[in-house]
Amino acid sequence: MRSHMQNLIMALFLLSPLAVSDVAAESLLAGEEIARRINARNEGEVVSRFITMAMTDRSGTERVRETKSIRKYFGKEKRTIIFYLSPSNIKDTAFLTYDYPEADRDDDQWLYLPAARKVRRISASDRGDYFLGTDFTYEDIRKETKVGIEDYSWKTLGEETIDGHRCFLVEEIPVTDKMAKELGYSKVQSWIDAEIWMVRQAKYWDVAANPLKTLQVREITLIQDIWTAHQLSVENHKTGHKTVFTFKDVTYGQSVKDEMFTEDALRRGY
Amino acid sequence: MSQAIDHGRAEQFFWWVTAHAKALVLAGVILIGSLAAFIPQLTMDTSADSFIAKDNPARVYRDQVRKVFGLSDPFVIAVINRGATGVFNPETLQLVQWLTDQVKTIPNVDPDRVMSLATENNIVGTADGMQVKKFFEPPPVTQSQADTIRAAIADFPLYQGSLVARDATATLVTAEVLDEMKNEATYQAFMSLVQEAPRLPGVELHVAGEGAISGYLFNYIDHDAKRINPVVAIVITIVLFIAFRTVRGMLLPNLVVLGTAAAAFGTMAAGGVPFYVITNGLLSILIGMAVAEPIHLLTHYYEVGRAHPHLTHQEMIVRTMSEVWKPLTMTILTTVVGFISLYASGGMPPMQYFGLFASIGIMGAWGYGLVFIPAALMLVRFKPSPVIKGDQAIDRYGQLVTALGRFAIHRPRLILSVALVVAVLGTIGAFRLIIEEAMIENFQHDEPIYRADTVINQVMDGTNYLDIVVETPTGEGLFNPDALHRIEALQRFVETLPGVGGTTSVVDYVKQMNRSINENRKEAYRIPDNRDLVAQLFLLYSASSDPTDFQQEIDYDYRRANIRTSVKTSHYVNNRAVIERVERYLHEQFNTNEIVGHVSGRVNVNHHWLETIASTHFVSEGIALVISWLMASWLFRSLGAGLFTLVPVFASVLLVYGIMGFGGIWLAVGTSMFAAIATGLAIDFGQHTTQRIRELMRSGTGTFEERMVHFFPSTGRALFFNFLAMSLGFGTLMISAVPPLIRFGSLVAVAMAVSFLASITVMPALATMFRPRFLGFATSDQEAAQAVQLNPVLSVSTMKEGR
Repeated sequence: MRSHMQNLIMALFLLSPLAVSDVAAESLLAGEEIARRINARNEGEVVSRFITMAMTDRSGTERVRETKSIRKYFGKEKRTIIFYLSPSNIKDTAFLTYDYPEADRDDDQWLYLPAARKVRRISASDRGDYFLGTDFTYEDIRKETKVGIEDYSWKTLGEETIDGHRCFLVEEIPVTDKMAKELGYSKVQSWIDAEIWMVRQAKYWDVAANPLKTLQVREITLIQDIWTAHQLSVENHKTGHKTVFTFKDVTYGQSVKDEMFTEDALRRGY
Repeated sequence: MSQAIDHGRAEQFFWWVTAHAKALVLAGVILIGSLAAFIPQLTMDTSADSFIAKDNPARVYRDQVRKVFGLSDPFVIAVINRGATGVFNPETLQLVQWLTDQVKTIPNVDPDRVMSLATENNIVGTADGMQVKKFFEPPPVTQSQADTIRAAIADFPLYQGSLVARDATATLVTAEVLDEMKNEATYQAFMSLVQEAPRLPGVELHVAGEGAISGYLFNYIDHDAKRINPVVAIVITIVLFIAFRTVRGMLLPNLVVLGTAAAAFGTMAAGGVPFYVITNGLLSILIGMAVAEPIHLLTHYYEVGRAHPHLTHQEMIVRTMSEVWKPLTMTILTTVVGFISLYASGGMPPMQYFGLFASIGIMGAWGYGLVFIPAALMLVRFKPSPVIKGDQAIDRYGQLVTALGRFAIHRPRLILSVALVVAVLGTIGAFRLIIEEAMIENFQHDEPIYRADTVINQVMDGTNYLDIVVETPTGEGLFNPDALHRIEALQRFVETLPGVGGTTSVVDYVKQMNRSINENRKEAYRIPDNRDLVAQLFLLYSASSDPTDFQQEIDYDYRRANIRTSVKTSHYVNNRAVIERVERYLHEQFNTNEIVGHVSGRVNVNHHWLETIASTHFVSEGIALVISWLMASWLFRSLGAGLFTLVPVFASVLLVYGIMGFGGIWLAVGTSMFAAIATGLAIDFGQHTTQRIRELMRSGTGTFEERMVHFFPSTGRALFFNFLAMSLGFGTLMISAVPPLIRFGSLVAVAMAVSFLASITVMPALATMFRPRFLGFATSDQEAAQAVQLNPVLSVSTMKEGR
């Protein structure tokens, strides 16, 4: 709550005539500071929600998957379980991931295949790998609406308005070529809401600097005092592939047992 | 003088032309300039697709298939190491990594669609799960690490033959591009990269792939055109010098060439028609043809000047033009017929446009010949040609032609027997013609791209793709194990066909994934029996893949799948057999209400347009023959004379068929154009000969042989230079680096030689033997009566004295 107040004060300050005068450029908030504010935002210790994953290929054919997803922090470790509810041929398939805070420790991932009645451990994915047939990378999913401060060098380019909201336009360049290769991006530009410190739009360029994809974050509302996006859409400009995540019945702080994040839970289903 | 000329209106026209000489010359130059101004807009299209019409059903279907499955023509670098460990040693694999990293930085390459051993994942089942890991990252540093990678590939059937040679001697780095229009620059970047790559003993690097072929062909033909065209121009100018030995004799035909080229290429550019591979031969051919008309015209001009020195220069020009315009127009029209019939036959677009723009060019030559030349001649004073001296003095070329002609008239049976043998052999040859073509044959065999293609097709499964698209009626129909089993059986069948190196389909992935969830047991490398499990395996795979990873194998709603068949050759004859057998299998054993297969892919599209070669060839030749015959018949007001005029056509076309049939020269894109073009050109020889024989029979005196004495040194000599100019024009294509153009040029050059020989030997021999009335021969009664009255002015003996 405190940070929320701070943000508000900061926003009011930025909106003051001083900010829009000719010293505006100098008074722009530094990129890294913006990144810190994004990451300082509360995202709840536990979140449970229905996610509709709609993927569309370049010809307009759509695959829609209904899922139930629960995420819980165990200290700094983050565990997520996703149950597939439809279509019927993948119903009860479930995906479990343990995301460890240590940079050098690989994630653990399991998938339950009901047709084979088997839980299979899947080798860790690279950060730049795509997540379950969507246009989000594992890194995008892991960070949710947060950002990797230390992965990029941050530069504020200016202010623009997105969907009627004042945003900072920030450019992020991976700190090294190796990092760029790992993330799959050579550059990112993000439009960050100057009041609630959420990314409202982002553009990505591939490692050879070709335009790669655009992210739009929509329907941001306060749920249990936490700013929550209800629609994330990504369009890949090279493949024409699109993904839209629509969130429903988002609840924070629900009591979720630790046993929910085990192989047995995968088999039991939702 | 005007009473000698019976072309009233034509004569008036040429008086007008010669009276406005300066203005017309200026207008002619301005017209060349303004047409030429369009030429820089010309675009080039060297793609294999340019040979097939955009609305051809095979192409339309293939384009749909490409869109559905996101297929494109890749660039390929082959890394070849024939050493003991093949490519599986640390140095070679480090090179693969280096090449992969560098290829990703090439402009226009999609870095996310670069595939090599350094980018691909190995999917392995473990005791409790599945491991999806790159074959290596970073590249190995010890031989035992490299051996592990070799073992992993050996256990992963999908990549054998497609990514790594089955004998481990080669591996590929393939790259898809973002914009295929930039293939040329991309090819250059690939070539530079291969040059810069670290050299390893025993390792060869080759750049190939469909993208590379079209990219390089662009550069190749551009370079070729720049080399050939000046040679043609020089050779023709030398011919003109020998023929006339005057400045205007060399200069004016070259100006007609400029007008011709400006007309053809200016309208091509203005019409937005691209420059295709075979368009490269157009300029040389136009140069050869554009000078034929001025040769006849100037020969006549110098003859008129010699024979009538009392005329003013303007009168000489008007008389020349009034006498030659009609036969020249007719020869131009018959030549246009040959080219237009290529256009009308509805074959492949490059050939159609070749015919169309050659026709436009020739019409330009006609216009410049009949207007620009007389106007330009008016600007100078008459100066006789030192080599054209009239009938009294015959130069060596005239003598040569006369000797040939006299031999024919004296030995008509021998000449006709030889002609008959040629005709019979030619007809047999036509039945032995092989229709064959391959895109790669556009390059000479020592070109790097040709060698790369050969090597890659030797060691890998093949770089030519035949796609078999299978379709089910409803979405997710391909989760059905029955459908997958049918696809598997189809793949096993296709793999038995000649030239087929291997096949890949989604079934291979399903089997690999099924094995990976079953602790990697070999017996689990099979299609699961449970429909839902198939769906879940796809979800499993997506846990570590791009959303579009399977797009080349299966469409987004799992209704259609693509079986990619790698074929080692692009040759039509082989691939026709493959396609026919696949289609029969689909029809007889595969198709049901639940699943249907169709053939597509580059190999199938090529098959369809190559199939049109035979029909286009014989249809265009048929059109050319019929129209030429009708035109000649109309000109001479006799169907018999029309047929007689076709003698050089039959002789040349049949002889060339004989050479092709017995010499194993393919009827391919380039060579198939020869017949219609040769017909249009050969009939000119027939027409000049028929016209002159009839004139001599009407106005001359003496026996046929005595009258023909006038024919050989004038018309015969002009025909000789006509043949020489055209043969050299077409023959210069022999120095081209594009093999189809070489064959096309040589065949037309041969056809010109045969046409010339037929027009001065076979035609006079036929006339001697059969004495047809349409040539002006009298019936035997009339002849007997006439013989008494004849008082020959010239005879062979007087001609000899004049030497």
